[in-house]
Amino acid sequence: MNQTKKLLIIDDDPDFVAGMKSILVKANYEVDVAYNPKDGLQALQTKPYDLLLLDIMMGRGAEGIMIARKLGKDPKLRNLPVLIITGIREQMAFLFPGQAVHPHFVAVDELVEKPVEPKLLLEKVEALLKTAEARKGQSK
Amino acid sequence: MKKYAYFPGCSLEKMAHSYHMSALETTRALGIELKELEDWNCCGATAYFHVDELLAFTLCARNLAMAEKEKLDLVAPCSGCYKNMFFTREHLKHDADLAEHINEALAEDNLHYAGTSSVRHLIEVFAHDVGFDAIKAKVTKPLKGLRVAPYYGCQILRPRKAKEDVEQPRFFEDLISAIGAEPVDYLLRLSCCSGALIITNRRAALSMVRNLLECAVRSKAAIIATACPLCQVNLECYQKQVNREFGTDLNVPVVYFTQLVGLALGIPPKRLGIGSELVAVMPAIREVLEAEPAVANT
Amino acid sequence: MNATAETSVTATTAPPEDRIPFVEEIKNLLYASKGNPISTCIQCGTCSATCPVASGGFMDNSPRRIIAMIRSGFKEQVLKSNTFWYCASCYQCTVRCPRGIDIAELMYGLKRFTVWRTEHQEGLIGPTFSETFVKMIMRTGRSYEPVLATTYLFTYGLPEMILEAQTATSLMLKGRLPLLPARIKRLENFKRMIRHIIPIGDKE
Repeated sequence: MNQTKKLLIIDDDPDFVAGMKSILVKANYEVDVAYNPKDGLQALQTKPYDLLLLDIMMGRGAEGIMIARKLGKDPKLRNLPVLIITGIREQMAFLFPGQAVHPHFVAVDELVEKPVEPKLLLEKVEALLKTAEARKGQSK
Repeated sequence: MKKYAYFPGCSLEKMAHSYHMSALETTRALGIELKELEDWNCCGATAYFHVDELLAFTLCARNLAMAEKEKLDLVAPCSGCYKNMFFTREHLKHDADLAEHINEALAEDNLHYAGTSSVRHLIEVFAHDVGFDAIKAKVTKPLKGLRVAPYYGCQILRPRKAKEDVEQPRFFEDLISAIGAEPVDYLLRLSCCSGALIITNRRAALSMVRNLLECAVRSKAAIIATACPLCQVNLECYQKQVNREFGTDLNVPVVYFTQLVGLALGIPPKRLGIGSELVAVMPAIREVLEAEPAVANT
Repeated sequence: MNATAETSVTATTAPPEDRIPFVEEIKNLLYASKGNPISTCIQCGTCSATCPVASGGFMDNSPRRIIAMIRSGFKEQVLKSNTFWYCASCYQCTVRCPRGIDIAELMYGLKRFTVWRTEHQEGLIGPTFSETFVKMIMRTGRSYEPVLATTYLFTYGLPEMILEAQTATSLMLKGRLPLLPARIKRLENFKRMIRHIIPIGDKE
């Protein structure tokens, strides 16, 4: 049960990714990074992950939403827990004032806003992994 | 009678109403039906692409899906709308994930995009679908001696759609010849009218407009013909500002190609929206219109 | 940038060797582009020579220079350039680039990049104009010229303002300016459609 968990980050911001990755690696997670949606989807299809950390605004626009919805329809990937870490409210609030999205794109997901405290990041990752694990146990 | 779904675009509702009027008049005379797309929405202009392209594609796709529902090809008289919808269709054609994502959004309006309707520019319909010979055959008032600068602008031609010649197009010249007028060698015919820079960078825009107008004057054109409302408005409505900024004395009428075609088809100027311009068109065309019809065919 | 920088995840906590260069960042931004990557640019300058705005001397950095700056990692200077905000989207650079780089697409990409981070040069009308336009369409589904005027009139001196007002009046008299904004009929569906793509913001 103490096997190293494999995480994937899909985020276009290299500074943010570098910071997040170093925190997660220190906490003994194995971390892969994709800097654009295409590489991200390819990684998800070729390698098994235990959790996805997903940005929203990348490439052409709100691509993170597109990825999350796609995962939700994929029987192989819809049980992958997703932590959306986004600056979307800051990035797009001038157009859409108000609350950030409440995600229900896949079975287990949550949204936190950038910047993220290291402690909160680790807590959320752990909690989502646990929830997903418990769900898996139930369905067996 | 060939029928199209007609997407006028926001400009044609008011600012370019004469384009709308003349488009409907001339197509009717040429045996084409333009059926206005019901409840069409803005194509996103350039602004949406500055913020989120997925959203911009969605706006365009809604219009495309509505044209599909009518089982008609979509025709846009505005080069900007045309470019946006043409390339949205291309993106959706080559990206199944994108098409699926956007279709989920379109479902909110009970629409579905499949890619069955193609996207045409109005001038393409004239030049290609109707054809120069058919237009020529319907001309009752050839605009003999009228020197016209064919102004293509940008987005009819660019970005390139396939392997077509974007450097030496001829269709606008051929259209002008077909209605009996004389296309001049207009050196800057493919240059930009400055687009939205007229709002976002007025100094640059006015200098670009000045170059285009002076080039038309140098080529001894009596009139500039356009195929885009933004080109027309920039070239025509800002001449006063150009003259003030540069101390020039420019006074060049700028019309839509549909207005010239309409005149040649014998449609009265008023029904083509002539008279609503800030640089009067009548002085440039009066002589041509009042000329006696040629006695015999050669 | 922000006061919580030391305790939150930012560049300060990251080992520098982990970070990808700016040119890669731009490549990721344009991942969906059909054009060739800007790493293939040979700096021939066709883009700058063919650009009516750059050749008129209105850009602080020409397109050719912007590409060179991206490749050399001048991130801050690139983002603060007026180049892409002064691009009129005429696509001359794109069709003429001998290396097949979609330069106009790069300009669009840089606009998005800076809009999302509000890192663009100050005093530009472009970003405000785009914002006003996008909001307007989201409210009504169609464009309405008089609203757009509010984005630039404040930058004018009195003589320009008067001339602008004269032009507007003439257009109004010719029936070319709308008095009321147009509105699509299925506006509620339209708004839900938009929210499907960008699901944030309070319900109106």
